[in-house]
Formats: sequence, structure tokens, C-alpha cells
Amino acid sequence: MESLVGERRISYDARGLAEPNAEAPRVAEIADGRAVFDAKDLTTRLINLELRRLVYEEGVRAVTVRNPGSKHSLGVGILQRCRITFEGSLGYFGCGLIDGPEIHITGRVGWSSCENMMSGVVVVDGNGGSLTGAAMRGGDLVVRGRVGARTGIDQKGGTIIIGDSVGSNTGFMMQRGRMIICGDAGPGLGDSMYDGTIYVGGKVKSLGVDCVPGEWTDADTELIERKFRIYELGTPPSFQKFVCGKVLYNYDNLEPSERRIVL
Amino acid sequence: MTETIHHIDSEPEKTTGLDSEYLSGKRFPYQEDASLLAGVDLVAGTPGADINWLEDIELLEEDGVPAVFDRYSNSFLKIYFALPAEKPVRDEIARKVLLLHLQSGNSYGLQLKPIHCKFPQPQLGSWVDGSDTVGTDWKAPVLEGWAPKAH
Repeated sequence: MESLVGERRISYDARGLAEPNAEAPRVAEIADGRAVFDAKDLTTRLINLELRRLVYEEGVRAVTVRNPGSKHSLGVGILQRCRITFEGSLGYFGCGLIDGPEIHITGRVGWSSCENMMSGVVVVDGNGGSLTGAAMRGGDLVVRGRVGARTGIDQKGGTIIIGDSVGSNTGFMMQRGRMIICGDAGPGLGDSMYDGTIYVGGKVKSLGVDCVPGEWTDADTELIERKFRIYELGTPPSFQKFVCGKVLYNYDNLEPSERRIVL
Repeated sequence: MTETIHHIDSEPEKTTGLDSEYLSGKRFPYQEDASLLAGVDLVAGTPGADINWLEDIELLEEDGVPAVFDRYSNSFLKIYFALPAEKPVRDEIARKVLLLHLQSGNSYGLQLKPIHCKFPQPQLGSWVDGSDTVGTDWKAPVLEGWAPKAH
């Protein structure tokens, strides 16, 4: 499939399923510890193989990927400190399972970007799809635009910063970590959250079950100011803070027989 | 070696505890000597311009002893030296102990990597630049004397 403008000029199999070749294509140009390669004609598998070859085998610590073409599952499973720049947009599940890299995406990201991220920094200049930062465990994820529903679902750590608005059920079943939303939040914010903190700079359509306003402390101010300074987000708006009300903490009500099974 | 091990009576080789000393079989000097933490730089040891993933690390307790949780081996690393009362300082010490533990390669999960990694990755993860790459020649383990049945 081929269109005429922008990234749509690129022909690709977005799911990258038909790639039996498991050899890195070795197309990158490497100079002064930096590498650049064009992903336009590469499948998902070959792009990821080339990335791993550069980072693990060649010891390159700064890689630029041109024309990622919104392909899915790019930049996943990188477990090394390095800098990766995607000049364009990513599809589903981009940059998942990473532990260490600092990644800059100049375009947008699809569903579930940075899913299960362990550590590192990901900055997205555009918008994000649903489930951004799903099950994230550590590190900083910054999306300068808007994101979809269930952002930070099952978040277990780390900091998610959204420059604009978020969709419904953001922070659903959040267990730990921090979420800073500069714009509005859709209905069901923080539904069934266990722990963690959600800051909202705009309006909240409605709170989810067991999500309640929290008491602002100096530590909250320090966190917000530090993150805004590091990611050059300007002057922080006035934030509301939301935490878990903990009325759904029912474990003490278990029957003795249930307790033996569960514990 | 820690004195309190939560063994299961019927299966003495197993334990319900989450103690890193039990997994690795020894206690490390930085668990007992705070002076060894002097050179640990939390910002330099983590990605980005601040302490990144260590922001979620805080001082906890295991078996009544102050401890920090090592997610890379699913175990607690106990701290035996005297700790100050202030929570921010206690958390910073916990982060330094954990980072030093990981950078030293002493985390049991990291020690298992050369055996069990199925794809290439640095043994010491993102904490030490230039560590050995492991997982380049993983082969499925074979049980001696066993062969699959012909289908």
C-alpha cells in the first residue's frame, strides 16, 4: 500500500510477520560513535536486529533511525544505556520492555508504547495512542501531545508525563509510580487504583472507583518542578493531586480458609 | 549468612523468604559498611538527568531488618549498618546500596544471565557500560539419558 505524502510514501508490512531473515542487514553508517540508518525498506525484525547489532555488538551509543514508518514493535527489548532517535512515528508496542535507553521519537506513537518499560527515558514529540505506558515499571515517559484511553494501565512504577489531555480510564489499576497530566482527563480517572499518584492540570471528567483527591506536600512540588525543568515543559500549571482511597483494600476481610489459600 | 531462613518443612531445599543472601550464599561488604557508598553516583548510574527508575526505590524491611528490594533477583538486600531517621536520607542510602549491588554484578539474577539468557544482552544491564554480552549461544537444556518419543 502506498500513498503520496509524508510517511505514507513508505510501503511496508506494518506487522512485519513475513520476515524469515534473522540476520542484521548491516546498513547503518557509523561514524564517531554514532550510527544512522534508513528503515524505509526494512521489516520490523530487520530494524530491531540492526538496532541490537549496533548497540550490543558495535558498541554504538547513539543511533538515529530514519523513516520508521509507523511500523509496530520497534525499539523493543533494548537493555543498554544508549540514545536512540526515531525520526518519524512508531506503530503499536514501540519501545516496550526497555531497560536503560534514552529514546526520542519525533512523531507519534501507537497503542501500548513503552509497555513494561523498566528504566530509561522516552520522549514523544507528538501524540500517543491508548494504553501508553501500560504496566510501566520505571523510568520517565514524556508525551508532549495527547494520549488515548487507559494510559498507564497497571502502572507499577516510573513517571508518565502527558503534555495535553488523556482519555478515559487513565491510571486504571495503577499500583505505583506517578502520572503528570497537564491537560484534561477523561472519565474514570484512576479507577481501581491501588497506589501511586496522579496529578492533573486541567479538568477531570470523572473519578474512577476508589480514586480520591490527595493532600499536596512539598515533595509533590519538588517532583513537578524537577520534571518540568528537566523536560523543558515551561511553567507548571496548578495541579490537582489524586491518590487511592484504599476502601477497596479488602484483604483483611478474608475468611481463614481463603487466607490460607491466598497467603 | 542470614540466620533466619523460612524453610518449608516438607521441602527443606526451598524457602519462602526473599533474602538475597540466601540466593547468593553470602553477605556483601556494602551491606555492613556505609563508607563503601561514598563513591556511588545515583544520577550517573541511571539514564537521563535525574535518578530515573531509582525514584521508586525506598527503604523497606524484611525479617525486621532494613532492606532494599532488588527487582532483578526478586529478593531483599538487607542493610546492617546504622541508618539515620530521615526518610529521604534512608531512601537515598537504600538506592545507593542497590545500585552498587547491581553494578558489582552480585545480584543473583545477573549471575544467572550467562546460563539462561536466550538472546544477546549485556550481563550487567544498563548499570555498567561495556560489560560482557551474554545470551549469544543459548541452547535448550537437555536432560541426560532422555530423548523425546517418536511421534
